[in-house]
Amino acid sequence: MSEAVLKSLDPEAQKIVAKYDQKRAATLMLLHLAQDKVGYVTPEVEAWVSKWTDVPVVHVRGVVTFYSMYHLKPAGRHHIRYCTSTSCILQGAEKVLCHLKKKLGIENHETTKDGKFSLEEAECLCNCDAAPMMQVGDDYHVDLTEKKIDQLLDGLK
Amino acid sequence: MKTEPVLSRNFDVADAWKIATAESRGAYVTAKKVLTSLQPDEVTNQVLAANLRGLGGAGFPTGKKWQFLPKDGKKPVYLVVNADEGEPGTCKDRLILERDPHQMIEGMILAAFAIRSRKAYIYIRGEYVLSFRRTQAAVDEAYAKGYLGKNIFGSGVDLDIVVHRGAGAYICGEETALLNSLEGGRGYPRLKPPFPAIVGLFGCPTIVNNVETLACVPHILKNGPEWFAKLGSAGNGGTHLFSLSGHVNKPGVYELPMGTPLREIIELHGGGVKGGRKLKAVIPGGISAKILTADEIDVNMDYDSLRNAGTMLGSAGVMVMDDSVCMVKMLFYATKFFSHESCGQCSPCREGTGWAHKIVTRIYEGRGNLKDLDTLLTIARNMEGRTICVFADAAAWPIQSYITKFRKEFEDYIG
Repeated sequence: MSEAVLKSLDPEAQKIVAKYDQKRAATLMLLHLAQDKVGYVTPEVEAWVSKWTDVPVVHVRGVVTFYSMYHLKPAGRHHIRYCTSTSCILQGAEKVLCHLKKKLGIENHETTKDGKFSLEEAECLCNCDAAPMMQVGDDYHVDLTEKKIDQLLDGLK
Repeated sequence: MKTEPVLSRNFDVADAWKIATAESRGAYVTAKKVLTSLQPDEVTNQVLAANLRGLGGAGFPTGKKWQFLPKDGKKPVYLVVNADEGEPGTCKDRLILERDPHQMIEGMILAAFAIRSRKAYIYIRGEYVLSFRRTQAAVDEAYAKGYLGKNIFGSGVDLDIVVHRGAGAYICGEETALLNSLEGGRGYPRLKPPFPAIVGLFGCPTIVNNVETLACVPHILKNGPEWFAKLGSAGNGGTHLFSLSGHVNKPGVYELPMGTPLREIIELHGGGVKGGRKLKAVIPGGISAKILTADEIDVNMDYDSLRNAGTMLGSAGVMVMDDSVCMVKMLFYATKFFSHESCGQCSPCREGTGWAHKIVTRIYEGRGNLKDLDTLLTIARNMEGRTICVFADAAAWPIQSYITKFRKEFEDYIG
């Protein structure tokens, strides 16, 4: 299934690769592109990146497992990165995180049964002046409270 | 002390990330003037005279770094922007990328001119999606205006910029790890020497500069190096974006002169400790910096003063803790960070950060014993200076400073 999606990404992949002085440097950007469209990094995605960058698939796998943003299994439609670094902890991140987990019924690195949400306890996302904070999909949400979590998550489709 | 904002002057201006607004505020005027009237080495000399130091955390003189490039010109030179902000307690580069990327791009044009580079990469941490979009849009607009590409401002100078995304790894803020990551690999730091100025990206001479560092460059060239040097303290030129978080009434990012007293940042700009509580401790420069007790905050916030105080300015991420804070808990979260982010390349770091976190977890969960404290200090000592990069040293410093400065609290906790 992901082959058809990947084929449709070929023109964009070509543009990305052309920007770099060496093809292999496009690896991270191609993985982002494919993961956004396919949903996670499948073996087909790795083979596709390998094809475009001329590096062995095993090297691509090594890259995928090194970085926290690439998923080897499907994440939720809304992936949540919840910051658990110092500034957020000082501002009460633990209590809000407890509420978030209870509300979703999942723990760190789990996905809700309906596939809507997945949770990752992340290290500093660098919005320390408005802690606690989290990222849902691409977007930052700051000054979190239990009430704010409810409003935000209930409003997502 | 009230100072006119330099780096943050457009932060509250709507749409300053768009080129029309940026130009109405003076963007690219300096770059155009410099490229059509000065020689590259004159730019480097001005940056040197301004006492600009790398604002990513290391504080190395920027002009001096540029001068390390080989003079033979046999290989292409790359300029790489380190926008992999990730030091806990730091939230400053994101503001430049999201709100005033043209300031940084103009700095890149000037820096690339000085180091004779025709190709630059901006490495933005993967989670900074808005920063990536805004910066890419700004680069596209600068191309459309002829400020990037071939023959910029009719000066005969070329510069191409590629905006790149990381994918979630703190270690990629270390400049050689960043280069390996940018080349499409795992973010493993490289042995130095050779330094990137000699062997960097794709084996070519490379200068890696922080976002804020580059954003300073247009102001230096516009107002002169003496003006910039005078803004700060001796040997530490300019202003700096201080990220203030934790238990203060007004957390935020404050642009203040280098050398501003830490007490002033907390009490005046931050409005004092929240809820009228007592100050317990302050981390002055991101999680890696050694912690200061409430009695130690009469120190000036610049590279030299903080080094003399036994800690460091680092990324200028100031984290304030009131007297309700449990130091065992804070060390638990600090060791969690370092064990999670160790790249795993060197054994002292991979094993040291892992075991330190396990032992601190044991203490935190009430299963520790008094001997654990000395074991932790031994682990920390054996991590320092024994690895490819300074990550392991940075991981050792919180362990050492929290336990040494708050030993009694740790002992009481263990009971």
